[in-house]
Amino acid sequence: MNPAELLPLPVVLPVSGAVLAPLAARLHRRLPLIVGLVALLAALAVLIYQATRIYRGDGRILTYFFSNERPVHGQSLGIAFVADPFGITFALLVAGIGSLLLLSALSELGHLGPRELGGLACLMQLLLAALIGAGLTGDSVNLFVWFEVAALASYGLTGFFLERPIALEAAFKNLVLTSMAGFAVFTAAAMLYATSGALNLGQLQRAGPGTPPRAQLVAIALLVAGFATKAGLMPFHAWLPDAHTPVPGAVSALFSALMVGLGVLALARYGLLVFAHVHALLHLLTALGVVSAVLGALLALVQDDLKRLLAWDTVSQTGVLVAGFASRTADGVTGGVLHLVSHGLFKALLFLCAGAVVHATGVTHLRDMGGLARTRPLLAAGFTVGCLAIAGVPPLNGYASLGLIHEGLDDQPVVLVLAVAAQIVTIAALGRAAYLGFYRRRSEPYEHLEPSRLGMRISLTVLGAGCLASGVLAPQIVSQAAGPAAALLLHPESYASAALSAAGGRVPASGVHFAYWEPKTLLLSVGELVAGIALMVTVLRVPSASRPLQWLRRAHTGSVNDYAAYAAAGFVIAAGALLA
Amino acid sequence: MIVGNYLAAAVLFCLGLACVLGRRNLIKIVMGLSLMESSTYLLLVSLAYRNKATAPVLADRPGHTSERDLVHGNVADPVLQNFCITAVVIGVAVTAVFLTVVVRVAQHYRSTDADDIRELRG
Repeated sequence: MNPAELLPLPVVLPVSGAVLAPLAARLHRRLPLIVGLVALLAALAVLIYQATRIYRGDGRILTYFFSNERPVHGQSLGIAFVADPFGITFALLVAGIGSLLLLSALSELGHLGPRELGGLACLMQLLLAALIGAGLTGDSVNLFVWFEVAALASYGLTGFFLERPIALEAAFKNLVLTSMAGFAVFTAAAMLYATSGALNLGQLQRAGPGTPPRAQLVAIALLVAGFATKAGLMPFHAWLPDAHTPVPGAVSALFSALMVGLGVLALARYGLLVFAHVHALLHLLTALGVVSAVLGALLALVQDDLKRLLAWDTVSQTGVLVAGFASRTADGVTGGVLHLVSHGLFKALLFLCAGAVVHATGVTHLRDMGGLARTRPLLAAGFTVGCLAIAGVPPLNGYASLGLIHEGLDDQPVVLVLAVAAQIVTIAALGRAAYLGFYRRRSEPYEHLEPSRLGMRISLTVLGAGCLASGVLAPQIVSQAAGPAAALLLHPESYASAALSAAGGRVPASGVHFAYWEPKTLLLSVGELVAGIALMVTVLRVPSASRPLQWLRRAHTGSVNDYAAYAAAGFVIAAGALLA
Repeated sequence: MIVGNYLAAAVLFCLGLACVLGRRNLIKIVMGLSLMESSTYLLLVSLAYRNKATAPVLADRPGHTSERDLVHGNVADPVLQNFCITAVVIGVAVTAVFLTVVVRVAQHYRSTDADDIRELRG
């Protein structure tokens, strides 16, 4: 069978699983987990089969037109799924990490009733299906549909534990900001269609050359505002830390490791593939990325709630990712693709550990924690591996991806300095969390400690091993997967021809190689580590050192009106920067 | 005339946004968002407008027109009208979720003031 004809399956399977899971829950309370795992693993198998055609050997791009509505004279109104190396990498990541998160969520929350388990399995699979769809689609309005499906599933997941009032508060803020983002994306897609007559991303790219009309620039600003909200870039980010705080660890992991990736993927697609000729767009994305990277890391440094701290770190990491993509150099974009995978792996690991700590002890704040390295060695090991991976300690995966991003930013010294500063603060923030939570001595024992579940232990082990393996095999991953993905993002015309032809297309050659022991990368990494540890010790010894940062925390007032105002101001700035 | 439609859509959008930014009552915030949403419907239908065109009902076209006329734009743009229907459907679903959350908030906090519901900050 032609592998392109199987392209809808990775989305159809989890959607069917989402429908079946609540029904299966009526028969037996373990069935939703089994249904979900079968659906996701089957989707993963299909994706791996297709990935072997895309990555290696012939390096093809697969295209599938729904209801066989093929383009006529280079014009297409039918929906196309285009599996390029970038999209398939994201889809593989979603299916792989998604099955692990489903396993850990449903085993840790196994004490819930069958209705709740069925609902949770349904919403998680719906979100994962939407993310896989967003990775594969080559159509601007279809991308909006997946955005909206992911958003609806995320509202459900945020408000799932309605017994906790803060979950309601978080769900409301998520709803307000994400539905505003939804209007923006949708209006933008319609305006682009009205001005260029194109829905297909390839056709949009071809309609492009020259300076776009003002209406299109407004549409691009709307797209940036919408997808930056999903990606959690400042100043559109305010929903993100709130939504991560009240939900179970596995759901936060799903939001941070995978859902935020939808925004980054869409920004990379639009910024590099579709509107490559709009130079102001890349400058705007770089600015958004750098501001988020620095401020997110600073806010993580002064945060006391463990899961909120990790959420602020997500804001910072997506900033780094977007800055890497916006550098538009082979190294930077390859690093961005690789870091999307690395961030998925280590952030899922960290959130699962944090969620397991909160679940086992009932303590949410770092000031009340401590001594967990002794009572919970597996969680401590997992959290430490995650922190070391973010810190860029060589055998782990953060070293390669951050090294490549920093190399790609070489010719923009200001951006590079800010990215390195963000990395130093990140190391300090996570080191502080690991010390206070796990390695500090605690005088009295915890009041109660829940036993940890088998499913959780399996997920933690696999994710930790994944961090190590993707770090050790980084040179191979760069040459086989991340390099071709970046090469395609840097050659928009080959994507356009593939997206407009039922026969698909070819992936251009990539010239990026990652040298593991290059002195410059190694020295930068060691320097960041030393500076980060010094900053961590300063913050721990001298608590007043973080006082100058309190204004940043005070700006996050908790009022939904203020957060909406930040997002609206962000859109006005984006539109101004593009129209100027 | 069609410029008037665009202006009306922009004014509606700004009114909705002003409501979301300025009102603390959660129900009013939801109403503001609905207003912003309706402004996108108006914008989409106006974008689909073509001078002297009929409705895009392609199955049974008026007697004096041929298929070529339809292809060359004697009907309003059906694609944008489709989007509009999609947006209406999604809007209904989102508003339902919104109101569910507001009802639960009102039950828990005995208030619908956004200023009473800000435990998560910083």
